[in-house]
Amino acid sequence: MGELSGRVAAICGGTSGVGLAIAQAFANDGASLVISGRRAEKGATALAELNIGDRAHYIQGDGTDRDACEQLIAETVERFGKIDILVNCAGGSKDNAPVVDLTDEAMDFGLKVNYWSSFWTTRAALKHMIPQQYGRIIYISSVEGKVGKPGLAQYVVGKHAVNALTKTVAKEVGTLGITVNALCAGAMDTPMMQEAGPAAAESMGISYEDLLGWFAQESAIKRLVTVEDCALVASLLVSDAGAGITGSMISIDGGTAPF
Amino acid sequence: MGKLEGKVAAITGGTRSIGRGMAEAFLREGARVVVNGRDEAKGLQAVAEMGGGDNVAFYAGDASLQATNEGIVDFAVERFGQLDIMCLNSGGVKQTAPVSMMSDEEWKLEVDWNLNSVFWGMRKALQHMLPRGSGRILVTSSVEGKLGKPGIPGYAATKHAVNGLVKAAAQENGTSGVTINAILPGLIETDIVRETGPTSAEMMGLPSYEAMIDLFTQESAIKRCNTVEEVAAVAVMLASDAARNFTGSMFAVDGGTMPY
Repeated sequence: MGELSGRVAAICGGTSGVGLAIAQAFANDGASLVISGRRAEKGATALAELNIGDRAHYIQGDGTDRDACEQLIAETVERFGKIDILVNCAGGSKDNAPVVDLTDEAMDFGLKVNYWSSFWTTRAALKHMIPQQYGRIIYISSVEGKVGKPGLAQYVVGKHAVNALTKTVAKEVGTLGITVNALCAGAMDTPMMQEAGPAAAESMGISYEDLLGWFAQESAIKRLVTVEDCALVASLLVSDAGAGITGSMISIDGGTAPF
Repeated sequence: MGKLEGKVAAITGGTRSIGRGMAEAFLREGARVVVNGRDEAKGLQAVAEMGGGDNVAFYAGDASLQATNEGIVDFAVERFGQLDIMCLNSGGVKQTAPVSMMSDEEWKLEVDWNLNSVFWGMRKALQHMLPRGSGRILVTSSVEGKLGKPGIPGYAATKHAVNGLVKAAAQENGTSGVTINAILPGLIETDIVRETGPTSAEMMGLPSYEAMIDLFTQESAIKRCNTVEEVAAVAVMLASDAARNFTGSMFAVDGGTMPY
């Protein structure tokens, strides 16, 4: 019997990277899970890795799509009767460019995946969490939710927006047994990073390796952080002791962000 | 298997309030712990209450003094052979006042108790930890390390300052295997707060102790005080091997009070 026995979590973007690491941690602690992601084959692989049978369920869905975000919550409640924990890991960027050259489409995608997705899943989840007077909401934000980086405007703006959402919702539901926190992670060498990183690096005029190296050099530890670091904090936040932590922008960045 | 199995921790303060909570949590996770307090009899009683047997020891000393913050490191190494986790936890105010009425004596006490103590203990701990290539230094700061409140200028100033010290030391030692973090609790109704609270409330221009508690809790999102257990859980996490990538962070345990 883990500490999360009887708890139900929905993880948007839970088939790889940070989302999967958090899913694994929650699964180990006894939670039931619904994870979403775009690609069904990755969903199947993730379920196999989690290896907790009926306690885990995959739903195909794109984090940039409102219906998919709302469907994740609806299906979680349908399958397991409630939702206690929401983790939104959707994030990324494409067609990176300095603002002077940034297209509407690139900015729109950045806001959808980094911000709107969290808004949509949160709004839908709160409708269930508020009546039950319990909830834990965790966003995978970024050090870029606190500071800027050239050439990454859509990501920086999207993650700053998620942090703003964190602060606001935390105040709205603070007395209702619901906590809302953002994990401001440094760069991690995850599938998302491998997917979006090379093009982002190119738009910044550097190689992918140099981009990762830049992130590492900005930190005090001079190395990248890991998905396990995020899972460690996520586990704390969903534990009983996490009840007193809300509205926090928790730095998981090896000493990068200045505040 | 506890998360701190085989570790040795030293905690300034530690016989009551937040430090006591940390000590008990560390013991549960398998660590051996040195706690500190001024009063030998009370300290030994606290240690007995913790029920940690030979895994917990008491080091007597005033935590506002250099000798105590350095001596606890030597004591821990002597008693348990090493020091892995240094919690620079003791702090507070005695007779706080608005700046215009603040006595030199109180100001100096608060600087010694809240800031210099952390420097003395951190320097000494680093000298032990850096050659070993591992260590965890946790500083109990406060929500007042980011905010200011009328009537507690020394507390706000010194807690802001320790946050700066944590950031600087974290950057200096980022690749050393030693991490240095601050925990920033909101108000907790500890023994110390109950003792000094009525005076503090008066100096903050508030009608009562209860009004001071209200002031703090109403600033938060959760509209209640935080708890020792909530802080202790964060301390355990940051003290664990798994937290090797966390350094220089200002970890809020304040129910959504701080704006950043």
